[in-house]
Amino acid sequence: MGLFDALVGRRSVKGPAARERLFALSTAYITLQTEQEIGSAGVAGIVFQPLATSDFQSIVRDMEEVVKATASDMGATVESRDDDYGFRWLIVRDKASVEDLVVTINGVSSALEDGGYGERLLCAVFAFKDAKGAPINFIYNYKRGSWYPFVPAGGGQQRSTERELQLKAQIGAELPIEPELERWFPLWGIPF
Amino acid sequence: MLLTLFLLGLLYAVLIGALVASGASGVTIAIVAVALFGFQLLASDKLALATMGAREVTPQEQPELHAIVERLCIQADLPKPRVAVMNHNMPNAFATGRTQKTATVCATTGLLRMLEPAELEGVIGHELSHVINRDVLVMTLASFFAMVAALIIRFAFFFTAFGGMGGGMGGGRGGGRDDGEEAVLVVILVSMVVYAISFVLLRTLSRYREYAADRGSAVLTGRPSALASALIKISGTIERIPSNDLRSAEGMSAFFIVPARAKNSLMNIFADHPPLEKRLAALARLEAQLQGSAK
Repeated sequence: MGLFDALVGRRSVKGPAARERLFALSTAYITLQTEQEIGSAGVAGIVFQPLATSDFQSIVRDMEEVVKATASDMGATVESRDDDYGFRWLIVRDKASVEDLVVTINGVSSALEDGGYGERLLCAVFAFKDAKGAPINFIYNYKRGSWYPFVPAGGGQQRSTERELQLKAQIGAELPIEPELERWFPLWGIPF
Repeated sequence: MLLTLFLLGLLYAVLIGALVASGASGVTIAIVAVALFGFQLLASDKLALATMGAREVTPQEQPELHAIVERLCIQADLPKPRVAVMNHNMPNAFATGRTQKTATVCATTGLLRMLEPAELEGVIGHELSHVINRDVLVMTLASFFAMVAALIIRFAFFFTAFGGMGGGMGGGRGGGRDDGEEAVLVVILVSMVVYAISFVLLRTLSRYREYAADRGSAVLTGRPSALASALIKISGTIERIPSNDLRSAEGMSAFFIVPARAKNSLMNIFADHPPLEKRLAALARLEAQLQGSAK
């Protein structure tokens, strides 16, 4: 596949990796909490590329209804928002439980995958806070099925690579961390 | 661009021809050819960036451009290339680099000013598709193979000519010298024809890879019409901009998303980019596919 594709310049967009890898967070966060004093900020988001087709829009509409209904049963709220780059965010708030956040986010991605649009998923972001209240994000890349920490530092578009590497060392045993550092893409303007 | 490239190739051919004529050994010629090729392969992207006056920018300087590149890289499952900006009013963009890890994506300030985020995303998607498809490497290799093909034919003729001359010498000294000169003339003629043919073939390959990159961008962003709109805006501006700007940027046209030259100034088979109407038609088909096929 690879060589022929390279020769004719034809490629399709990669779909999402196995779903279980997302669920690694629902156990890893306990280590974060007990050993590093890093607690959930009670909010997570998933970002995807909305297509301007009626088929895609009806799938998203149905998915949002289902996700909102199940989320409110769990005591969570869901809102959707478009960012400056034309990407759609679904933002889930649940102060009580990281598991519920993971389950809700997985509900969104599963609905898109089942609808045949899994390749439009970019990533999911889970917000945490350390003991001093500084924000820490764990980003799940759907294409690669891997996690990486993203710690914005003060000032415009600066990130604390040192802190991120520390976090990798602290949680690497429990979360499948992205091995290639050049793929630790920052996400600026996370809408929560 | 066309003339530059053609002359560059001709220079290459003449240089090797001169080496052959001066009686250099095959080994020397091979070394010179390989060294030139190596230089072309290793230094061309840096040369391109340097001669264009492109400058690498940090996320602080160009947050929007970086954000678009990053999101498309996640979507394309590609390591992030370097991001550069060229200070030029002509709206355009290009990508260089042999491998995905050494790639650079460059946009002009004119492009950044003119396009909406979705359109810019389409253009960056096109350039990233060039990176994904390894187009710089493919085109460098292809042009090298064309060169090698021309060389082989030249050698073949050259040695046949000498073989014929040797036979002539055995039979009698009379006509040998004239035959040799005639043969050299034929060698030069044939190698020029081979070169011209491979040149046209290379242009065709280049055009095909442009279509592939347009398609790649449409698949990546899911918005073929945004790229179409960007292409219309870009080409409209390019045709309106004074020719001074055109000439100063012409040398890089093969790497640009839209070639920097006046409309209809060249025959289609020599063009390195497909005509705008055809690219728009291809994008319109992709949009129709996207809207119609409910997967």
